[in-house]
Amino acid sequence: MTRQKVKMAFIENESSRKATYKKRKSGILKKANELATLCGVPVGVIIDSAYDLSPEVWPSREEMDKVMSQWQRLPVMDRTKKMLNQQSYLQQRISKESETCKKLTKENKELQMKEVMFDCLSGKTSPSRIEKSDLRDCGNVIEQYLKNLNRRIEILSKNDGASSSYVHAAATTSVAMPIVEMGSSSTAFCDMIRQQQIQSSMNQNVRGLDLNQQQW
Amino acid sequence: MVRNSKGRQKIEMVKMKNENNLQVTFSKRRSGLFKKASELCTLCGAEIVVIVFSPGKKVFSFGHPNVDCVIDRFLNINPPHPRQHTDMQLSEAHRNAIVRDLNNHLTQVTEEFEIEKKRNEDLKQKRNNNKMPENWWEEPIETLNLSQLTEFKCGLKNLRKTVTAEASKNLQAIVPRHNFYAGSSNNAAFGIFDDKGTIDPDLDLYNRQRMVVKNTCACNHHNMIVPHHITTPFGNIGNSITEGFAPEYNQNQNQLCFKQEHISECDHHSDQPHHFGHGYY
Repeated sequence: MTRQKVKMAFIENESSRKATYKKRKSGILKKANELATLCGVPVGVIIDSAYDLSPEVWPSREEMDKVMSQWQRLPVMDRTKKMLNQQSYLQQRISKESETCKKLTKENKELQMKEVMFDCLSGKTSPSRIEKSDLRDCGNVIEQYLKNLNRRIEILSKNDGASSSYVHAAATTSVAMPIVEMGSSSTAFCDMIRQQQIQSSMNQNVRGLDLNQQQW
Repeated sequence: MVRNSKGRQKIEMVKMKNENNLQVTFSKRRSGLFKKASELCTLCGAEIVVIVFSPGKKVFSFGHPNVDCVIDRFLNINPPHPRQHTDMQLSEAHRNAIVRDLNNHLTQVTEEFEIEKKRNEDLKQKRNNNKMPENWWEEPIETLNLSQLTEFKCGLKNLRKTVTAEASKNLQAIVPRHNFYAGSSNNAAFGIFDDKGTIDPDLDLYNRQRMVVKNTCACNHHNMIVPHHITTPFGNIGNSITEGFAPEYNQNQNQLCFKQEHISECDHHSDQPHHFGHGYY
């Protein structure tokens, strides 16, 4: 059964509030115990409310006294450095979550623009159909991709100079083929690739013929 | 779906062996404990203090209404003076109002975060669904060979041209259209050619546009269009390989063309800015 999402506000219903208090209090003490045990560190908790006759002290008065003396031995600055109350704690959480959310929004935009870029390359759409507000972001994504491509090309070129120049030449040869002008319609990258593949296979046959002629 | 980790597992309630894991666990669990404490205060109006010493002997504390107040009461130091009571009530009401607002704000931010997370999942799923094996350029860059990379680069450069052109249409209010060079030198001004740019390629499109204006105005006298046979100050750059990938996006009459043809072929529109042939790439 899925849990009900609890609204983070004071519970108006008295009996609900009391029940929640009891459950959550015991939950906190359990978690405090786990923290202390797993990490082997001193932990002290005091919880007080209208529902308790006297404040709940965990782990025990004696242990809490030990924590207290350790606390009081610390200079005031050390004590207050990481001290939080509701206000400061919530502010901290708000800024952290906003930060993370912003990063995620940015990543999402990049993912979206990458899809647009791929769609343009495969002819599913064209730059004229991109949302005006997205053009800049799209351009940036293309830019970043080109940077990465260049970096990768550099790495590969460095690693094997000999074979890469062969491959480079092969690319040149294939590209130097006359490309059919497509008039006023835009030609998608993928169509170019396929045309090339057709041309280069045709070229294979032509080269074959040339060789025959040379032998003559 | 391939699972990378085993998921939640039951752990033994003893001090952890691995130092690094211990530190990480401490951070996470301390944070979780404080969250629970904060929620208890908000939901039930309880008063609480939690004091935790870290493995590195630093101390963390959370307290409501504040740490010192609750500790003092516990140690029976400074019981509140009866006359202070009303003041304390007022400031408590004020505090509660602030905390209420903060909680609402946090709830809102958390909701937005959830939405973004879902969008993230959806986008990744969409990429998976749209994957077409024949589109090799959609694969990670590391899997491509050098010739593929080079081809891809050409295609992308052309795409960039057209996207930039579309973007420049939007900025027409800022920059008069006639000052723009068509085609390749436009890109040159942007410094988009590979390694030797005059303009930082890290600039976003808007700033690059401004740089173009600066550069064009520098060499354009009287707002005249520079005739095509004059070498631009940006020089002769780029890959001749890109020749083959010139998608033609013809736009209407009074706008810019990006044809990569020889100059002699573009003389049909006298009122149009001249095109630049492949030599000026």
